[in-house]
Amino acid sequence: MQLRILLLLAATARIAHAEDRAEVSTELFAEARDGDKGGLTVVHPQANVGFDIGRHVTLDLGYAADAVTGATATIYQVDATTGATTFSDFRHEGQLALGFQGRRSRITFNTSLGTERDYLSRQVGGEASIDLAGKNTTIALAYTHSWDAVCDRDNTQQMLLERTALTGADPCDKQGLILAKDRPGETVWRDLSIDTAQTTLTQNISPTMNMQLALYGQVLEGFQSNPYRRVKIGSASPQEHIPDERARWSLAARVNRYLPALHAAAHFNARFYDDTWRVIGGDLELGYSQYVGNSLLVHFRARIYQQTPAKFFKDAFFYENFSTAGEYFTGDRELSPVRSAMLGGKLTVISVAEDKPVLGIFDKLQLNVKGDLLFLMPVAADNTGDNTMGIDKQFLNGNGLIDAVILQLSVLGNY
Amino acid sequence: MRALIILVVLATGCGRNAVRAAEKEFLADQVMVFDNDPHDSAAEDHVLTNREGAAGGHGAGGGGCGCN
Repeated sequence: MQLRILLLLAATARIAHAEDRAEVSTELFAEARDGDKGGLTVVHPQANVGFDIGRHVTLDLGYAADAVTGATATIYQVDATTGATTFSDFRHEGQLALGFQGRRSRITFNTSLGTERDYLSRQVGGEASIDLAGKNTTIALAYTHSWDAVCDRDNTQQMLLERTALTGADPCDKQGLILAKDRPGETVWRDLSIDTAQTTLTQNISPTMNMQLALYGQVLEGFQSNPYRRVKIGSASPQEHIPDERARWSLAARVNRYLPALHAAAHFNARFYDDTWRVIGGDLELGYSQYVGNSLLVHFRARIYQQTPAKFFKDAFFYENFSTAGEYFTGDRELSPVRSAMLGGKLTVISVAEDKPVLGIFDKLQLNVKGDLLFLMPVAADNTGDNTMGIDKQFLNGNGLIDAVILQLSVLGNY
Repeated sequence: MRALIILVVLATGCGRNAVRAAEKEFLADQVMVFDNDPHDSAAEDHVLTNREGAAGGHGAGGGGCGCN
């Protein structure tokens, strides 16, 4: 009966495992925001279940949601708090994956549907992996295609600087929950096509060390602006406008080293990123996992990240007092120069069945408690000597040392 | 692309006898498996892609004991 309840709770599909498993988790993300509208809060519950159908077939189901509330800046300008307002949104996502497993290989087909008031996402994909002779090398290939749609104001008759932004009061009609329906003259759905491919090589180097190389590429075609965001240009505040095409790639390397004498492991991750909007970024992460006895696992990590701005991004002062970057103008913080850091820890309590199953059901049960602190350092995109107003208030970042906090609680059971 | 092919060939050639099955006790430990909890990794990617422009490419599951 309890097993049936877990199945009903269910959720996703990622890489299936050799045994049935279920996982439920809730994550809280809280970000500080400047001004009098409060911070930004995202609650992200998800539930997943996977089970075997015979010896070679696996089925995974998943559900995730995002409940978002908080402050947002509607106009990118020297003082973004002036136009700040509050909003709320709810996103649902369902996932399904079917996997076929051989002695040394595996192929998985997956699909997902995501829906929220102003955004629809329909995705299909596949992933294949094979262990080479000796089972010390695994090569994996993955590909997904996503047909997304973004609700927008019907600006088809307007020039760039006359375009108005979407508001929370505008209707975004749908048919059958996952199909977009235009309302000409008011709102239209704009297409966004996303193709993503990734190949990974995982290699055992020694009895205590392994590594992974991951090459990732993505091509996005279609509407990629935030339909709600406006940019102050002179006395006007038109909807932001960014290119319809973007191609991006990254190369990542990861190494794990087990330390038998300490019953611990050290982890190293590095990643380089580049794209056609001239955003160049990279991150480094160091981690350490320590067993305490047989049932407690503690993990610590530190990560630093930095990126350059997109070629058409300007600090708000320059859009406001001078001009756009050609035909483009944006107030997207993700396209600004960013330096950030993260410090985190995770505590895992592990119960393994011995004489009888844990709670009468599970071969293995894990309780995870995780917390991360995120730090953000604003960086100027343009010459600070010419910017008499500065960049301190162009985004709604909080002024404290800690920019955001992530807390997560999850329970994972194998049965 | 040529560099990637050479890297794969070298890795697979060297890797065939890198670790014998009887020596994989530590590699099979959950702390040695990349993305041991894929849902946790997905949730973290979800947060980072809403804060950073350099999305994607954080790798994939696998590794550890090499038992696909």
